[in-house]
Amino acid sequence: MPVALLDPAVYLVILGYFGAGALLAGLVLGGFAALLSFWAGWRQAPLFIQVGRRAFYAATTMVLLAAVVLEAALLTHDFSLVYVAEHTDLSTPTALVVAGFYGGQEGSLLYWTLILGLLGSASLVASASLGGRVAAYATGILAAILSFFLFVLAVVASPFELLAITPPDGLGLNPVLRDMGMLIHPPVVLAGFAAFAIPFSFACAALLAGRADAAWIRHTRRFALLAWGLQTTGLLLGMWWAYHVLGWGGYWGWDPVENVALMPWLATTAYLHSSQVQERRGRLRTWNLGLVILAFLLVVFGTFIVRSGVVPSVHTFAISAIGPWFLGFLGACLLFSVALLALRSGNPGAVAERETPVVSREGAFVLQNLLLIGAVAVVFWGTVLPLVSGMFGGERVVAAPYYERAAGPLFAGLLALLAVGPLLPWRRLRRATYRALLWPAVGLALALVVLVVAGVRAVPALIAFPLAAGVGATVLAEFVRTAIRKPRAILRKRRHYGAYLAHLGLAVVVVGIAASHFGQQEKDVTLQPGQQATVSGYTLTYTGLQQRQLADHADFVAAMRFGDQTLEPSRATYAGLGGQALTHVAISTTPFADVYVVLADTGANGSATFRIFVNPLVVFIWAGGAAIVVGVVLGNVGEAGPAAELARRRIPATLPA
Amino acid sequence: MLFLRWGLPGLVVAGCVGYLIFSASGGSAEYYLTVSELRTQTHAGDVRVAGVVQNDVQKSDGGLHVTFTEKDGTASVPVDYSGPLPDIFKPGITVVVEGKLGGDGVFHARTLLAKCPSRFSTQPYTS
Repeated sequence: MPVALLDPAVYLVILGYFGAGALLAGLVLGGFAALLSFWAGWRQAPLFIQVGRRAFYAATTMVLLAAVVLEAALLTHDFSLVYVAEHTDLSTPTALVVAGFYGGQEGSLLYWTLILGLLGSASLVASASLGGRVAAYATGILAAILSFFLFVLAVVASPFELLAITPPDGLGLNPVLRDMGMLIHPPVVLAGFAAFAIPFSFACAALLAGRADAAWIRHTRRFALLAWGLQTTGLLLGMWWAYHVLGWGGYWGWDPVENVALMPWLATTAYLHSSQVQERRGRLRTWNLGLVILAFLLVVFGTFIVRSGVVPSVHTFAISAIGPWFLGFLGACLLFSVALLALRSGNPGAVAERETPVVSREGAFVLQNLLLIGAVAVVFWGTVLPLVSGMFGGERVVAAPYYERAAGPLFAGLLALLAVGPLLPWRRLRRATYRALLWPAVGLALALVVLVVAGVRAVPALIAFPLAAGVGATVLAEFVRTAIRKPRAILRKRRHYGAYLAHLGLAVVVVGIAASHFGQQEKDVTLQPGQQATVSGYTLTYTGLQQRQLADHADFVAAMRFGDQTLEPSRATYAGLGGQALTHVAISTTPFADVYVVLADTGANGSATFRIFVNPLVVFIWAGGAAIVVGVVLGNVGEAGPAAELARRRIPATLPA
Repeated sequence: MLFLRWGLPGLVVAGCVGYLIFSASGGSAEYYLTVSELRTQTHAGDVRVAGVVQNDVQKSDGGLHVTFTEKDGTASVPVDYSGPLPDIFKPGITVVVEGKLGGDGVFHARTLLAKCPSRFSTQPYTS
């Protein structure tokens, strides 16, 4: 809906310049905030520390202004901007026009910068309690990161680039991307990526200021959880979208794009667990700093990999000039944080750790961390292998079998720890621990017997399902025990029980992944109307084909009778795009499996060719994933954090640095 | 003592991870080639070949069997593939096929992937 505030021509040009100006102003303010904050922190000048912080807020305001301008340009169809003309057209539905903001390279960077500024500002508001120096250095690091993004936006990949001649209409959106999944998946993933910068900045600030106690962990806990929660949601949404839209019957392909989102998630999962060791026992300080730094470096690395096109991927991202800049940024972050860790972390706790036996909650967390970092290493190697092997001769790639063989045993080990770890007490073993281990053992044995009786002989399945059952038994036993003895504790110790719910959700996800992985059936059939096809006990009857002619595409819809439902897989052909096809998968979810029908082709005589998948228990993945997110969110809403708990038990929250 | 308790398990885990990576990537890494490289090199196992689909796409068997020529700057190879095609498959797009070059000079593909248009637009503006 064009809004004619001024003479259109003048108005449009002003909009483009206005946005670019806001970005430049943000860059200047961000650079100023970074330099001033480092100086003020070093000189311990409270007034200038505050000025630096306010300059960061001002830079964020400029980013917000630029974002509003870009969104306004999109909504008013201002095709004088290259970005608007390349990513939308007049017929694009308004919701997708709004989504165009983060749909392209430049806009997604602006979105990222915006979230970084907003979350960064939120994290700085109460930062004074950490001490002036940590707060100032954190401001400086956040402002430096923000400035890097603003520099790329203002100089290298500006969303406010103008076209010489304003075209009457834009190019529009590829039909594959005209989907509601496109509205929610990218912003969640990108916001998660942006949020990783906050724990990183405070960790580095604590190191720079020589304060390696747990104060920075508590201060950034919410942001680490937010980053992790957004990333969990983003990964699940991405899987859901791939499964429901792309029509290949799966949800995870080990593509570099997926891998680079998985790696920071794994590292943050490790951090969320190991940080408890520091909060409660004052251990693993350097390790925690390293994990937070690793997670952020993986995010930057992932952005570089994805945007530079250095490794082959199914996704063709717009390869642009920003690749080398991100490589430089990655190098700078790597040098800065490794130097900090080497020079400032020292070697605390070496003496204190003597008394802790390996078999304890601490030991379980350490082993869990090692396995998770091992999984990061597996995924990292698989992602960079084309790059590394390309330097030494033939370029080689790995696919799903590599990841399954290399990461599978590690994930099995993690599952076993999930079943046992929560039952191990802090510090040392007690007799009660052995009794508590009964429930997971019973769950595991029961599942194993059921599987063997049911005729399952595949070893990976015989490992995955019983371990998931063991995890489930551990969590359920804990809930039942508490519900009988002191039901109020479930609400009072929300963080604890929320985490248990997340564990249960993960066990459910594992069951879904294992079942759909080991039990997927597929069949290609060509049917005449009235003919039937049966795949692993599910019978579908093809009843006929309909053709619908719509404005820009022709739609073939096949009707399949399945029980009392009618499934309608369809295939659209877009004339305007050189005959590009777009299939719509039809999925029917039954209690035990998804029946997943893809219309592959249509014949002249009313015949149709289908690929039919039967995917067992896929719905467990979505349900379990929801439980993970709900557990973590509910467990931390209104939670005072462990400080109150520690105070109650008279343990000093801040250990001497 | 401290090393035996915490360092040793760490080293053991690191060793296991290293072994897993080494053994898994040795067995399942495939060469990623251009069409010209496929023409000049021989590989025993499956390889992946990237190239552009030419204008000779022939479908049969209800659209589940397809033959076409894949080409890069200099060389081309006929490809034979059975299975559903990606939506965006059409002459002119870049595909990655995974399989073997047969004795008949035809590349028999097990999988066919199309490069996904992750950008919002259909083609870049050239003005």
